[in-house]
Amino acid sequence: MRSLLNHATLGQKGGALLLLVLLAFALFGNGLAPNDGAYQDLDAILAPPSETHWLGTDHFGRSMVARMADAIRLSFMLGVLCVVTSSIIGVSLGVWAAWSGKKVDAVLNVFVNILLALPGLVIVLLLAAIVPGSFFVLYLAISLVQWVEYFRVVRAITKTTVDSPAMQSSQMMGFGRWYLFKRHIWPAIAPSVFTLATFGCATAILTMASLGFVYVGMQPPLAELGLMMVELFPYYSDAPWLLAEPLLAIALLVLGFHLLGRKSS
Amino acid sequence: MNPLISVDQLSVYSKASCLVSPLTFNLHQDRPLTILGQTGSGKSLLAQAIMGLLPDSLTIKGKVSIFAKTLTKQEYRAMWGKELVMLPQEPWHALDPLMTSQKQVRDVYHWVVGQSKHIANSSAMEALTSLGLDKSADKLPSELSGGMAQRLAIVAATAGGASLILADEPTKGLDVSRREEVIRLLQDKSQGGGLLTITHDVHVAKQLGGDIMVIKEGQLVESGTVEQVLSNPQAEYTKLLLQAQPSEWPIVDRDPSYFAKSDRIMQTEALRLVRGGKTIIEDLSFTIAKGEVVGVVGDSGCGKSSLGDALLGLLPLEAGSIERFDKKAKPHQWLKLYQDPPSAFSGSVSLARLLDDLIGLHGVDQARIRPLMARLSLSQEILERTCLEVSGGELQRFAILRALLLDPVFLFADEPTSRLDPITAKEVTMLLVELAREQCCSVLLVSHDPDMIRHTCDQVIALS
Repeated sequence: MRSLLNHATLGQKGGALLLLVLLAFALFGNGLAPNDGAYQDLDAILAPPSETHWLGTDHFGRSMVARMADAIRLSFMLGVLCVVTSSIIGVSLGVWAAWSGKKVDAVLNVFVNILLALPGLVIVLLLAAIVPGSFFVLYLAISLVQWVEYFRVVRAITKTTVDSPAMQSSQMMGFGRWYLFKRHIWPAIAPSVFTLATFGCATAILTMASLGFVYVGMQPPLAELGLMMVELFPYYSDAPWLLAEPLLAIALLVLGFHLLGRKSS
Repeated sequence: MNPLISVDQLSVYSKASCLVSPLTFNLHQDRPLTILGQTGSGKSLLAQAIMGLLPDSLTIKGKVSIFAKTLTKQEYRAMWGKELVMLPQEPWHALDPLMTSQKQVRDVYHWVVGQSKHIANSSAMEALTSLGLDKSADKLPSELSGGMAQRLAIVAATAGGASLILADEPTKGLDVSRREEVIRLLQDKSQGGGLLTITHDVHVAKQLGGDIMVIKEGQLVESGTVEQVLSNPQAEYTKLLLQAQPSEWPIVDRDPSYFAKSDRIMQTEALRLVRGGKTIIEDLSFTIAKGEVVGVVGDSGCGKSSLGDALLGLLPLEAGSIERFDKKAKPHQWLKLYQDPPSAFSGSVSLARLLDDLIGLHGVDQARIRPLMARLSLSQEILERTCLEVSGGELQRFAILRALLLDPVFLFADEPTSRLDPITAKEVTMLLVELAREQCCSVLLVSHDPDMIRHTCDQVIALS
């Protein structure tokens, strides 16, 4: 843990701090609101930030603090789920392709090239349009698109590692496959996988927000950042702070992940 | 007569630390000067300082005068190529990988000398022909052998007419037979000018003659004429350096009757190996006895390493057979030592961890480690570090330790010391041979240096 902190650049530390603050808000932000995100306070519609409603209220009189916390939590959940799924699939298939001979490699490559030929956002849109408002389908669609990146990067690095004298040497000394993965392949691919994961997290969050913005993602009354933007858009002149809040949240989320993923040179 | 290059109290600093301590010397016309020292002793920095090529992060103190003048950046620029030229280490880095041989030389005639493209073309061809490179005129540097690439680099560097040459390790990585050719070419090109050579190879100094300076860790150890210093060295370090030349090594004792009695471990029959569509080894048959040290010599690219890999089953055979007689030996007792030690280890964990992994896997007796480490003069501290934080010599000795703990019956050492400086190379090779004998492990020692093989091996296989 300590060496991790020592190796991190200033930007990475900043990114991690930013994400921690956002995560804390997502988990405990509801406590700052008088009611939960679904409660309508009809006396306070489009109210500016005040002592009771820290971030104001929306056009239905719902507390923005509670809704923002819900929305950010949802974004985090999707981002992390997508990254975990796509990285596990991508890394295992990538290592398998590079390590298991030409046949496996050729078959997997054809499959991946077909996937790459299809535009990613269209697949996600298509699936999201078939089952609108389903978090599960959205997660599945984004993971399906994202694992390809991990696969390609991991396969390329693993290929050179497998041919390296270091791995040949360990193999000749009788070490098993798990050991070779742990000591040789994983250290070689880990930095790239980490960078891909942080960028992938940001992309997943942006994708969900984009779909929400064009009304094919999550459906109201659920709080989702993209959906909130389009819902609050008509009130931009009466209550500009309302529109600014989800915009700022998504910008900070993406910034946090991108800072975290930036490798030190 | 005025010296061509005069260096007065020149030192190189990186911030506060001194990388090259003050040196004073003169380079005269037609009297070569050789600077001899190990890698990392600051020799290359010295050449860069003289050429005016030192990176901005380093500062120099003292004075460098060329043709009795201290030059400014612009004056240097005007002289580069026409009067003063440097041959950087490793021709691969000095040549453009995407340009054919003829084009590389032609560009010098065209842009530096100012000939028209057409005339430059024929001048380039002429220069290449005079060195026997005419057949390679349309080849890329990656298609040339090390010796050819070095000759090409010399032709390109001197095409501008410069006769004041600074050569930085001109023979690094070259076979013995190519070495002399390159030196002769350098002598030839510097006729009427000056030649400053930087090398770790005593042979180069011997062949060039003239003056010599021995440098250790940026400090001058000894200087004088080549004959005087090499035949009667005064400093301890120079003596060590001379003794470390493979031709000076003691011949390892061997008892021929020993092998006649002992069992064979391996026999090859009419071996044929193919690499990249080309047959590199044909009809090779030999027997390796238990505990025998077998040397393989030959120029680079002749298939020395491929032969070793084939014996270990890492490379498929085109024809012939390899028979292993020791049926009790397990697969992990047939091992290999690699040419470049850091590339043969995982850099992600400490050496102690790697050793523990091995002990855990094969149940090696812990008690054997300490004495063996002492024999290999490895300190316990290096175990705390990763393979990137120890020197090449230590790491190669650690590789030997790791291999010997598995009680190997056969060890293929693929130029195990070619990346090490001569003194360390001698120690490591001697230890390897000695310990292998004690453990009765057969060794296939591959090297491009016939002297080294002759002094250490029981059987020699010469490939061509």
